[in-house]
Parts: sequence; C-alpha cells; structure tokens
Amino acid sequence: MKINVNVQNSLSASYTTDLSKEKTILETKNVDLCYVPQVKTLKNVTIQIPEKKVTAFIGPSGCGKSTLLRCFNRMNDLIPGISMKGLISIDGIDIYSPEIKLEELRKKVGMVFQKSNPFPMGIWENVAFGPKVNGIKEKAELDEIVESALIQADLWNEVKDRLNNSALDLSGGQQQRLCIARALANKPEIILMDEPASALDPISTSKIEETIDELRENYTIIIVTHNMQQAARVSDYTAFMMTGEMVEFNATSKLFTNPEKKLTEDYITGRFG
Amino acid sequence: MKELTKFQKRLKFENKVASGLITLGGYGVIVSVLLIFFFLVLETLPLFWKTSLEKDFEISGKTPISIGMDDYKELVYQVYENGIISYYNIKQKKNIKYDTLSLSAGEKIISSSSTLERDEIAFCTDSGRIINASILFTQEYRGNSRTIGSKLEKYGDFSGNESGKSLENLSFDKNENGNKFWVWTNDKKNVFIKIFDLEEDSNYTHNLTELTGGTKITASAINAETEVLFLSDENGEIFYFDISDYESPELKSHWKVSNNEITAISFLIGGNAMVLGSKKGEVEVWFQIRNENDDLVFTKTHVFENHNSEITKIVPSQRNRTFITIDKLGELHLNYSTTSATNVKFDNEKKGIKLVEFSPTADVIIVADDNSKIGFFNLQNEHPEVTVNSLFGKIWYEGYSKPEFVWQSTGGSDAFEPKMSLIPLIFGTIKGTFYAMIFSIPIAILGAIYVSQFAPKNLAAIIKPVIEIMAALPSVVIGFLAGLFFSPLFEKNLLLILLLSTAAPILFVVIISLWGLIPEDKRRKFSNTWELIFVFIAMVLVFIIFWGISEPLGTYFFDGNIKNWLYTNFNIGYDQRNSLVVGIALGFAVIPIIFTITEDALSNVPKSLTSASLALGASKWQTVQRVVLPAASGGIFAAIILGLGRAIGETMIVLMATGNTPILDLSLFNGFRAMSATIAVEIPEAPVGGSLYRVLFLTALLLLIFTFIVNSLATYIGDKLRKKYARY
Ligand SMILES: Nc1ncnc2c1ncn2[C@@H]1O[C@H](COP(=O)(O)OP(=O)(O)OP(=O)(O)O)[C@@H](O)[C@H]1O
Ligand SMILES: [Mg+2]
Repeated sequence: MKINVNVQNSLSASYTTDLSKEKTILETKNVDLCYVPQVKTLKNVTIQIPEKKVTAFIGPSGCGKSTLLRCFNRMNDLIPGISMKGLISIDGIDIYSPEIKLEELRKKVGMVFQKSNPFPMGIWENVAFGPKVNGIKEKAELDEIVESALIQADLWNEVKDRLNNSALDLSGGQQQRLCIARALANKPEIILMDEPASALDPISTSKIEETIDELRENYTIIIVTHNMQQAARVSDYTAFMMTGEMVEFNATSKLFTNPEKKLTEDYITGRFG
Repeated sequence: MKELTKFQKRLKFENKVASGLITLGGYGVIVSVLLIFFFLVLETLPLFWKTSLEKDFEISGKTPISIGMDDYKELVYQVYENGIISYYNIKQKKNIKYDTLSLSAGEKIISSSSTLERDEIAFCTDSGRIINASILFTQEYRGNSRTIGSKLEKYGDFSGNESGKSLENLSFDKNENGNKFWVWTNDKKNVFIKIFDLEEDSNYTHNLTELTGGTKITASAINAETEVLFLSDENGEIFYFDISDYESPELKSHWKVSNNEITAISFLIGGNAMVLGSKKGEVEVWFQIRNENDDLVFTKTHVFENHNSEITKIVPSQRNRTFITIDKLGELHLNYSTTSATNVKFDNEKKGIKLVEFSPTADVIIVADDNSKIGFFNLQNEHPEVTVNSLFGKIWYEGYSKPEFVWQSTGGSDAFEPKMSLIPLIFGTIKGTFYAMIFSIPIAILGAIYVSQFAPKNLAAIIKPVIEIMAALPSVVIGFLAGLFFSPLFEKNLLLILLLSTAAPILFVVIISLWGLIPEDKRRKFSNTWELIFVFIAMVLVFIIFWGISEPLGTYFFDGNIKNWLYTNFNIGYDQRNSLVVGIALGFAVIPIIFTITEDALSNVPKSLTSASLALGASKWQTVQRVVLPAASGGIFAAIILGLGRAIGETMIVLMATGNTPILDLSLFNGFRAMSATIAVEIPEAPVGGSLYRVLFLTALLLLIFTFIVNSLATYIGDKLRKKYARY
C-alpha cells in the first residue's frame, strides 16, 4: 500500500526543504552506543539536525530512535553499564565534554515523554518547576513565564482559571500539552518529543500537532513517531532509522514520495515494520 | 460438555470455600481485636464502681461499749458496760458463750480504746480504773470443719484517777516490742500518760498538765510505733508530744488548726495521717510535713464532706486509708483519706448510730444504734484508692510535701499505700518514644533516601537485607546490649558520645562537602566506590578527631568529669541507664520499620516523574527534594507513624535499658518508666482482682487505644497525602 502523503501541505510548503541550505544546530558524528558491552544499539549514527525545523525520527520498533533522542539531553547518562563513542554537539559545542553542565544542557534541550508525566502538583507549579529549579525565584517573573508557556502550548485558555488545581485532574491530551508547556517554560532551543501523541485520541493528537506547528518558528523540534502520516504532517525533515543505523535523512516531502534507499521505500510502503 | 460442568461446579465450590474462609478470617481478626478490647474494659471497670453499703442481717442487743468480729466473719463479740462479753455465732444465729471482765459491784465501763489491729483493748470504768484485755479468736479444725473459738485475756488494771475525779479521753496503743502506752485526762484538764516498757519491765507515769497549760482537752490519740501523742483542746489546738523518751515525754509543738473545738482525733494506718473532727462537723486529714527548714509542720491535706453536727467518733480501717466518722445525730460517713472522698453517707434510717466497727477484712461494717439493734452491712469498696483523679491528677500522699503525680505500686509494709498515677508512665512512654524518634527518623529517612535514590545498585542490594535483619533482631537482645553493654560504655565516654551525636555530623557534612569542591568533570571520573571510600574515610576521620579531643576537652572545660560538671553547674543528674541509651536502643528497633517503608515509598515514585524533573534541568538532589519526597510523603508519614507505634508499644528494650524510674523529668540523662514495661514488670506481682492488677489492665487498655489512634491517624493522613500526591 502506498501511503498517500500530502507533502504540499499548506503549512510546510513555504519552507525550504533543502537540507544543505539549512543551518545545523545539532550534529552527531559516528555515534556508537552500547547498553550492554559489545552489543551496539546505535551504529555509527551521523546526522545534522537543522535549526528551527521539525525533524521526525521514524523506524521500526527497537531500532534506537528513543535511544538516540536521549543522547541529545544525556538522559542516558545514568543507565549503568552504558557506553558511547562518537561526537554529539549543539551549536558546535561537544555536549559530552567535561565543561558542559548537565543542568544547563537540559535547560537548553527540553524533552516531552511518550506518556504524559505531570508532577502531582498544581498546574502553575508544574510549569514553573523548570524555571524554579534553574534559579528564578520572583513570582511575577514566574507568572509571566508560566502564562507565555501555556499560551504557546495552546493550554492557557483551558486552564487560566484553575492554575492551582492539580495537574492530574486534566485530561490526557491536556496533560501532554501541559508537559509541552513545562518544557517550553525553560525557554529551550531544542525540544525532544518521544512519541508525544501515541497514547492520545485523534482529537488530542491533532491538537498536539497544531501546537507543534505553532512552535516550529521558534524552536528546533525533534519528534519520534510511529505514525508516518503524523511525521509527514508535522515534520520538515525525516530521518529513517533501522537496527541502530541512520538509513536515510531527507526532506520529509522527498523521503515520503521519492526515497533514495530501497529500505526506506519498503518501510514507508508498509512492507515491514 | 458434561466434564466442563463438573469442572465448573468444582470451581464454584472452591470459590465459595475460599471466599468463606477469607471472610471468616477477616471477621475473625476484627472479632478478636474487639474481644481483647472488651476483656480489657471488663477487667478495668470495677475500678470505677461506686462504693455501696448493703444490709446483710441484724441482731438485737443493748448498745455495747466495744464490738469485734473474726477474720472469717463467724463470731462477733460485744462488750457491755457491766463487763459482760457475749459471743454471737452468725451461722447458728445465737449467743454461744459469755465472758466477764469481772468488774466490782456497780462499776461500769464508760469507754474503750484499742490498737489499730484490735488485738488489745483498754477499758476505763466510772470508778477510775483502766483495765487491759484482749479478745482473740482461735481456729480449730476438725476434719473438714472449722470452728472459730475465742479467748479472753486480762492483763491487769490500774487506777487512773486521783481522788474521785472523772476519767475521760482514754487512748491506748501497743507497739511491736510489746511496749504499751495509755493516755487519759482527769476532769478533762489534767493529762496523764502511762508507759509500760516490756523489756525493762518498768512503768512510767507522767503528768503532762503543765505542758498543756491546763487547757480543756477534748480528744487524744497515741501511736505506739512512732511514739507520738496528739491531744486536742476546746480552742481548736493540737498538742504534739514526742514520747520516745519514756522518762520525759516532750511537747514538740502545738498548732492552732481550727476555730472550732476539735471533738475527735485519730491516726490512720501507718501513723502519718491524722483525722480531725470538729464540733461543727468538719472532717479533715492533716499530715506532718517537713518544710525547707526541716521543721515538722502540721498541714491540712484533705478535707471531707461536712457532717453539720459534732463529730463524736473516728474509726480507722486496719486495711487501708478508709475511716468512718460518726456525728452526734448518729449519721456515719465512710471516707477515703487519700482521695478526699466521702464515699458513703448513712444514717441507718435515722436510728442514731452509736458505734461502728470494721470487720478485719473491712468488707463488713458492724453498726450499733440506739434502738438496741446491731446491723451487719456488706461494704463494696474494693478500690477506694483508684479514682479518675488519682489516675490522672495530682494526689497528696502521706510523706509528700505537696500533691504530686506518683507511681509506686508496691511497698514493704502493710501500711504502705499504693500510689498509682498513670501520668509518670504515660510521660515515660512519650519521653522514650520522643527520644527514639528524634534519633531514628533522620537516620532512617536519610538512609532510605540514599539507598533508593543515590546508592549504587549493588550497595543498595547489601544495605536493604542488612537492615531487614536488624528488624528481626529480638528486642530482648537490643535491650540486653543497651542495658549491660552500652550503658556503662556511654557513661564512661559521655562527652565523646555527646560530641558524636551533635558536633560530629556537622564536621562530617563539612568534610563531605569538600568533595563538592572537586570540579564536576574530575569528580565524574571517580566511581561510586571511590565516593563511598571517601565517605568512609571521612567518618573514621571524624570519629578519630573527636575521640582524640574529647579527653583534653573534658579536662579543660569540664574538670575531667562532665557528669559532675553537669550536676554542679546545672543540677542535671546522670543515671547510667538513661533516655539517651534507650533512645538509641529503641531507635534501633524503630529504624528498620521507618527505613523499609520509606524506602519502598521512595522507590515506588514513578521513574517518569524523576525523569521529567531531570529533563527539566533539575539536579538529582532537587529532584529528590521537590518531586520524590512530596510524592512519597504519604508513605513516609505512614512509616514514621508505624515506627511511633512500635516505639510506644515496645517493652523489652525500655524495660532493660532504663532504670524504670517513674519520674517526671525530661532530662536526657534520666531514665523513665514506660507503660509497657510497667505492665511487664508488675503484672506477675499483682494479686488478681486487686487495684494494681486492674490499673495495669487499664494501662494496657490505654496502650491499645494509643496505638489504635496512632495507626488510624497513619492510615488517614497517609491516605490523604497519597490522594494528593500519588495519583499517577
Ligand atoms: N535502558 C536500556 N537498557 C538496555 N537496553 C535498552 C535500554 N533501553 C533500550 N534498550 C534496547 O535498545 C534498543 C533500542 O531501544 P529504543 O528504545 O531506542 O528503541 P525505539 O526505536 O525507541 O523503539 P520504539 O519505537 O519501540 O520506542 C532496544 O533493543 C532496546 O531493547
Ligand atoms: Mg522509543
């Protein structure tokens, strides 16, 4: 079955989709990663993520998309026995170098998880959490940050009257948008999203997609998804991974209509995976 | 198909049996807890029953001078004014025997006075004779039947008046050496005392009139054990004589105690408390108390209900602090000294009570009235010394200078009065629990945080089972170690222990924070093992530092002995088995509980929450502080409360590691007496059904209620917190 992809989608049509013309913000070079010694989960991954674009990672389950994503904010660090080789840099700076402060990196590279995970606190507290742990104390300033983050995440109108209510009282979709707002409150440059809508109903999913669409102007977004239509709808560029290898990285329109690799074509046409 | 239904049938049957058993088990638990509760209540309730007096039977006879009954309540003697003694057998309902004191013709007995034990009586007659006699009961066993007999012994007599004056206010007592004391007055003014020294076989008679100044004497009381004599006069004054020097009795003091005439006085059992009854019907108990200058001061300690009529007689029980007062109108009051309670007021249908006597076991009262009837009344008064006020309020006990909370349930002599205030025990339990909790909460919770959040997996895998083994340590072993090993060790190294528990953690934290000075990238190169080794070295270093300085420090600041220093400068005493030792020992029992439950609660905080926090740029510690701890707060709270419950109920450790001194003192260096330990120590000695026995059951009931409240609180608040923080 050939997927019917509307790449001439009104939103992304106006963007350049030529990788070589993009400014790179995040770059990996020959990244190998082993959870267990000798077993490479990522194999020689090299990719350049363009700035202020939405990049989608697709690929069959277990191919290492999440693993790669977690390398970008070093969430893998704490896993015992893990080892990584190669270079990952943001704005040309090696994020694994000793000078890098983990907290600063994660402030710069936000993350939204597959399953929404709001803290068991009020909505306001959730959004203000990041700025607070990063040293902002003034209430007025925090209020401002919270408001703008909620507005950007399309949640403000729904929650502005009950900012002190428990975040756990929100619906699943609202919770996920709250998590996006929470990540935005840190004013990150890059937002990593690992299947952010996979646990949501179609309406909530489209809301999330709309949000992503509004964010693309100001943020670099890297999104992992299993839903290829979603990748096609929201992303400017798409990377296809398999068994830990970066098979093809290209403009979304190109990758879905005219993939360079046979493997990619087989995958997007649903021949496996 | 058929087989399937068979199988289904079996399944159904099994389900039914299982759910039946489970339901039974559930209800069984509830029922057994309720049963324990009701059993405790049942054993406790009699403490609070009202005193009652119920007529058993009555016999006819003229009003006797003196009356008495044997231990088995079978035989009653009555001494009449003509010197005849009749013996009434209660079973046979008739007089079985007569004796006589052999008075001269026309001579009449006008009054009598007996020892508290009623084993010897002095009579005085209208012709001025004082006659001593004893009426003793004998028991004879023939086969299975017991016969109560009696024996009258006459010890001779002497003349107690000069030239035909009247004789009154006779008091007589005998001490355990057999020395006897009589006091009486002639014409109510002239006071005489006669002392018989058995060992020396000599008699002394003294005229005390000069010492009293010739005032009109209204009553007298002698205590042969303490060798004191009290006289009261018409002006409400009390004269206190020391009669221990048989050759010259000494007037020690006299006190004005009332504006009214004192008409009756009597010692209570033990000879410390004196009951005064006045012309206006006041009844009071007074103690002799030493003041700061070591002078004896006569002090009013208990006041009883007023009779509104002159008090004519005070009859003390020979069992406890119960005494009966009779007034001129023939009404009697049954009072209990210690509790200031008038438990019974009784006028026997206005027949005019003249004479009252307790049976030896004090459960029967014999009442003789004007109408030639002698009534026998059953007295229900098992626990007069226990009231709500005596359990929870301050009570003025004999020998104390003010009302106090005292627990002292058993003593050496018959005259000992049990003092059963639960306040020192409740205080002890709270004190022990408090010190145990301040010791164990920080260690257990910090430990749990470390193990669940920071420790490398393999280390956590060692620590957790070790702590669980700690929980399995029998408390007897902990108590034993604390009492016999750590107490002396602590005493010897007190300063070191104090330094280690206060200054050492601070220094340790300072040293540890040096680790943070190492740049992060270098630090990362060290493995967890190195971090641990560093911590361990820091610990040893801190210990060695304080060990090294504690001795010179002690010599320099505390004159080489911190215990003496504390005592001389702050008046803080040091018991070897004290709250410091117990706090730590009890803490050892509590730590595993708090640790295990807290560790569980912390580990159960979903990883998604910690990941979210870390991904937002929070440090590990910030994450613990702001996400993990609040989310686990319900569990942590429950852990603390369960630890508290354990500390409250713990018995063996507090029993073995404290001195079990029931004192109200917050000091870390004193012991205490906990409720649980008291039950354990005293229940074997408590006579079944006695006051102590029931008070111990009450203590157990309180413990049960305490732990019930604590556990319910834990469940309730834990649930609330969990609802608030833990809906993932
Ligand atoms: N913490 C870990 N420890 C060991 N192995 C892991 C760990 N996390 C992932 N892996 C393994 O690494 C491989 C890649 O996993 P990863 O989660 O990156 O795949 P994925 O592409 O995100 O898959 P999915 O689409 O199902 O989410 C898998 O084989 C997985 O079993
Ligand atoms: Mg994944």
